[in-house]
Amino acid sequence: MNALEVTNLTKTFEKVIAVDNASFNVPEGSVFGLIGRNGAGKTTTLRMMMNIYQPDSGEIVFKGEKVGQDFKDSVGYLPEERGLYKKMKVIDTLIFLSELKGKSGREITIKAEDYLERFELADRKNSKVEDLSKGNQQKVQFISTILHDPEFLILDEPFAGLDPINTNLLKQIILEMKDEGKVIIFSTHLMDFAEKMCDNIAMIDQGKIILNGKLDEIKKKFANRNVSINYEGDISFLRGNPIIENMEDFGNTTGIKVKKSEQVQELLRSLVEHNVIIKKFNADEISLHEIFVSLAGKEAANV
Amino acid sequence: MFNRRTITIVKRELKAKLFSKTFIIMTLLVPVFIFGLFGIQIFIYSVSEEENPNLLIVSETENISRRLKNEFDEYSEVKSGNYRISYETLDTSAFAERLKGLKADLLSETLTGVVYVPEAALANKNVKYYSPNPSNQALFNKIKPGINKALINIYFEDKKLTREEVDYARNNVDITGYRITKDQKVEEEGVGNLVALFLFSFLLYMALIFSGQTTMHSVVEEKSSRIVEVLLSSVSSTELMAGKIIGVVITEVVQMIIWLLPVILLITTSWFVLPADIIFKLDLNFILYFLFNYTIALFTFVGLFATVGAIFDNPQDAQSGVWPLMILVIFPFLIAISLQSNPQSSVAKITSLLPFTSLLVMPARLTLVQVPTLEVIASVVINLAVLFAIFPLAGKIYRVGIMVTGKKPKWSEVRRWLKIKS
Repeated sequence: MNALEVTNLTKTFEKVIAVDNASFNVPEGSVFGLIGRNGAGKTTTLRMMMNIYQPDSGEIVFKGEKVGQDFKDSVGYLPEERGLYKKMKVIDTLIFLSELKGKSGREITIKAEDYLERFELADRKNSKVEDLSKGNQQKVQFISTILHDPEFLILDEPFAGLDPINTNLLKQIILEMKDEGKVIIFSTHLMDFAEKMCDNIAMIDQGKIILNGKLDEIKKKFANRNVSINYEGDISFLRGNPIIENMEDFGNTTGIKVKKSEQVQELLRSLVEHNVIIKKFNADEISLHEIFVSLAGKEAANV
Repeated sequence: MFNRRTITIVKRELKAKLFSKTFIIMTLLVPVFIFGLFGIQIFIYSVSEEENPNLLIVSETENISRRLKNEFDEYSEVKSGNYRISYETLDTSAFAERLKGLKADLLSETLTGVVYVPEAALANKNVKYYSPNPSNQALFNKIKPGINKALINIYFEDKKLTREEVDYARNNVDITGYRITKDQKVEEEGVGNLVALFLFSFLLYMALIFSGQTTMHSVVEEKSSRIVEVLLSSVSSTELMAGKIIGVVITEVVQMIIWLLPVILLITTSWFVLPADIIFKLDLNFILYFLFNYTIALFTFVGLFATVGAIFDNPQDAQSGVWPLMILVIFPFLIAISLQSNPQSSVAKITSLLPFTSLLVMPARLTLVQVPTLEVIASVVINLAVLFAIFPLAGKIYRVGIMVTGKKPKWSEVRRWLKIKS
């Protein structure tokens, strides 16, 4: 069952096609990653999902209807570039933003105070936002994203610019929300994060969706011909070897793609023959990064 | 458009604006500023008069000299010792010599000036003034009546006229304005209505410029602080814009009512008594009209200023982009102020019906003359029509502009935003 269905979404800015006929589905209860490098069209896609941008064409369907105010009310949205009213008090900010979502009253105030307590901000509740440190402002922004108890979380590059403490805090929030059966959609250019946290992904490159589906299925599909190895020694003899289609060398970890799946054993044999010490040989793991590179092309290698 | 989200935005605006220190300061400061402005003018006028002028009046005959002394001795300035005047009697050639000797005194300003009254002045009233500052109008206005009176007295002395006849001849024509109103009353006009013209025009002008500017800057700030994207994830741009404008309008109308409170009390109660010649003939209907017109003007201009704010993402760019709007407020204000010379001129009549200008010119005209009710209604209808016509356009620009950051947009781009379908 899909929570959200995105069909043929297109958005153009002054002759630049930001999002080009993008379609993907977000299943119920999933942690969904929208993955791509900077400028690929992630933020534009999320803004269209939030109805902040009007798509040129295409539609986003939520519970059988085009997204509208109902959807907005049920989403907690954390934009990439965060912002709050600088002169407003912390507690006023939280109550105001929650009221915009249609949740107000005593209950919300108590909940806001609970969150402030948990995030170690209880003593700052009457401070102005501008008097808080950047890290604490981010915490206030997280609280404002989840205070109204949204069904969906849409987070645009949520880990960008976070210190380690806040990164953990946000991960914790995401996992809690996941356990409560909520849908979490986030965009990132950090493949590692996506790989660890998502169960579904859509990969976007130059405005086009180049891959979409369950992460484990995608990995299975791409895994057969891919080998990742940890080693000591010299593997440069593999370059130009007829069984190798592609090789990505990170020093002592390497992702190798062979031309045919049965050539994996041949690869292992030749490594041993060349006195390379194999510490780990994983014939069915492929990193999301490798998948991305194989699809988006060489220039994506330094993402 | 008017739903709980808009109301939430309005509430926040009121909290940030109406219940703020800035509101209290502005409410107190603007009247101080306006009265300060009038005060400075009066001050400049008063100090433009010569301080302790020291004059030498030279006449060609003894008789003229004596008569002049008689007249000037009556001056309060002379009695108080503020004006020092000495008298000499010299003929034209002797005077020329005397003047040479006085040159040093004149240049060192120990002597303010020398007045020469030749005998011929009895026929042609031509008098000469010698000074390093020979066009001192403030001084001339003071001494002319005295000289005139002396010359007239000598001229009519042997004409066997009674004092009444001489007084009659001497009197200037005095025009008293009477206001003809529809209800057949004929009322004597004082300067009170001119004071009202300046007061109401200044209030309108300053309040519009100030509220427009602050709204523009708060929109720019929402954009640059990125709070706007958070807001738009909950509300539509129309709701956001409407909430913001309504918040500002309520704040400003409340402020205007506070400013007008003394005027309202003056009209409705007898707590204060003004000197007869500065009482103004305005009634409560005018105040109500003024507030209603002000509300329309606020919606129009605050909406436009907010739109300009949405186009730019930093205060400098916004300030340089707002000049067409500023002209739209300043130009009608200048017309309104110039109405004092003739509030019924064709310029006055036309601009009090045109969109934008009528927002300032019509109330200004109403302080001076009775404008046919139909014209007042027409101006209100025109302004409302313009308001409803520009709001969808402003909303479109706002909707696109509010999410555009980075490069300063060109006007041609802004025009294209208007074509984007919603």
